[in-house]
Amino acid sequence: MARIWWPMVVVLGTLAVVPQAGYAQVKVPIFGPGARSYPVAVSPLKSVSGTSDVGSRFADIVAADLTLAGYFKVVDRAAYIEQPDTSGHTAESINFDSWSVIGALALVKGTATVQGDDLTVEARLFDVYQRRQLTGRRYHGAVGDVRRMANKFADEIMAQFTGERGPFDSRIAFVSTRDGRFKELYAMSLDGGDLRQLTHNQTINVSPAWTADAGALYFTSYQRRNPDVYKIELFSGRESVFSQRPGLNIAARPSPDGQAVAVTVEDEGNADIVLLNPAGKLVRRLTDSWGIDVSPSWSPDGRQLAFCSNRTGSPQIYVMNIDGGAARRVTFAGTYNTSPAWSPKGDRIAYVSRSEGRFNIFTVTTDGSDPRQVTQDMGNNEDPSWAPDGRYLVFSSSRAGGKKLFVADATGTSQVQLTRGGGDDTSPAWSRWLE
Amino acid sequence: MGKRLLSVIVVGLLLTGVGAGCSAKKKKGAEGEPGAGAGAGVGEEGLGAGGSLDRYKSGTLGAGGEQGPLQDVRFPFDSSELDDAARSILQDNGNWLKDHSNAKVELEGHTDERGTVEYNLALGAKRARSAKDYLVALGVSADRMSTISYGEELPICQEHDESCWQTNRRVHFVVSGD
Repeated sequence: MARIWWPMVVVLGTLAVVPQAGYAQVKVPIFGPGARSYPVAVSPLKSVSGTSDVGSRFADIVAADLTLAGYFKVVDRAAYIEQPDTSGHTAESINFDSWSVIGALALVKGTATVQGDDLTVEARLFDVYQRRQLTGRRYHGAVGDVRRMANKFADEIMAQFTGERGPFDSRIAFVSTRDGRFKELYAMSLDGGDLRQLTHNQTINVSPAWTADAGALYFTSYQRRNPDVYKIELFSGRESVFSQRPGLNIAARPSPDGQAVAVTVEDEGNADIVLLNPAGKLVRRLTDSWGIDVSPSWSPDGRQLAFCSNRTGSPQIYVMNIDGGAARRVTFAGTYNTSPAWSPKGDRIAYVSRSEGRFNIFTVTTDGSDPRQVTQDMGNNEDPSWAPDGRYLVFSSSRAGGKKLFVADATGTSQVQLTRGGGDDTSPAWSRWLE
Repeated sequence: MGKRLLSVIVVGLLLTGVGAGCSAKKKKGAEGEPGAGAGAGVGEEGLGAGGSLDRYKSGTLGAGGEQGPLQDVRFPFDSSELDDAARSILQDNGNWLKDHSNAKVELEGHTDERGTVEYNLALGAKRARSAKDYLVALGVSADRMSTISYGEELPICQEHDESCWQTNRRVHFVVSGD
């Protein structure tokens, strides 16, 4: 049976929450990304009907997401005293003492009901100390949708603890040589699962960028010899040529409203940024400097672009209005600043900076003030891409040998390895939230 | 500078089997007309085994024998400027091209592995253009030359040191139709 790529998960409603429920009271001295201090137990779901391992898969994925978030320490499942199939899953029926004695301050419990290919999950988050439910969600879908249900619930847990939805119901596209010497395009879920190879053209594929609805990717491929921009639809796998102008067609970035695509093309050897409509027709040219202008990144309101230019002799990050006017420079330190990525929150631009022969991720405000270093002293770090919540970055790093993907919070306090195995993983692109 | 968007000259290449398919396609693409046109069906032969992309696809890139009659030109890090050594090589290459007036050449711009993929693709294009402009100034007809950038994607030397990086920061010349 053909399965669609993006399972439909219906949130049927919030389960009963006690009236005074708000954000959790933090009981530990440090709570923040990288602290890894808030102990959470994630119990496998109780299997209500049907025999399936979805209950433990759900818990595995939630635990992986919470580990990535950097705020939490997931209590080892081997320590759990209460077993899911012989215990309750509501505030009235849970033995909270058995969870506080193993050090858990928060607890995830719930039920999984499997009927044929149908799956209903009820998941609840409890404050162990206050012995009350913080939030609950019911999800309905196919058995194979358990991953999205878990990612959605992890986002909900993040909302409860931090006041902002988490970034996990999303995908990361990237380029990899894991299946041979060719650079092919892949996409995966945030917990590292559901990995899919998107291209099989056995040539060079680079620069993936998601459409705002996370339903398609633009990328550059040499499959017809010239570096042309293609678009691939994820539901159907349908691939089409988007821009095949003579010379470079690279760094295609669709606008937040989907009505335009900024692309870097070549004019007599010089890279410039142009605006194309969704059919690939030229709307207008955006840059015309003597230098390289490359790697556009949209502001979340779609009115400005950050980009990389060497118009002053070395690559630096600039910001320009879509409607024209002079570009203003936002990086000033160093002689190699590239790969701008505008945060979905709008406040900062991530980029790569070379210093003393090393490449590291930085962020800077959109007016060029307050540059902050995200990575340091761990290999070369490149290709930053923001999470949909604007709190995390995915990037490639050589710190573990070959190039692998890592996720860090914007301060760099938490840095977690996302991909492993053979080959190089590069050019990650983090999608917006799936809808 | 009087630049016009996408005004790349492809006319000369249309006359040869070399790159005919892709050149014709590119020109069509610039006009927003995908599909068949002059030269369609010829392009699969492309640039033969001499091009770096073909060698990459066949697994022979960096195995030796890349060098044709024309020597690679090298560049400093993050630069597309031609130094004395580069100009000297281009003189020799220009002389060879003048002596072999039927030859066409594709100039491949490459960078080393360091830095950003997209920026390096742009830098490779600029390197190829620098070399082409110099050859035009030496009297080689522009319509005998085409350019393509591979950025950092096709290194011929795989070590992560300056010796290899220097080798990889190159414009490579792929000759055909001699």
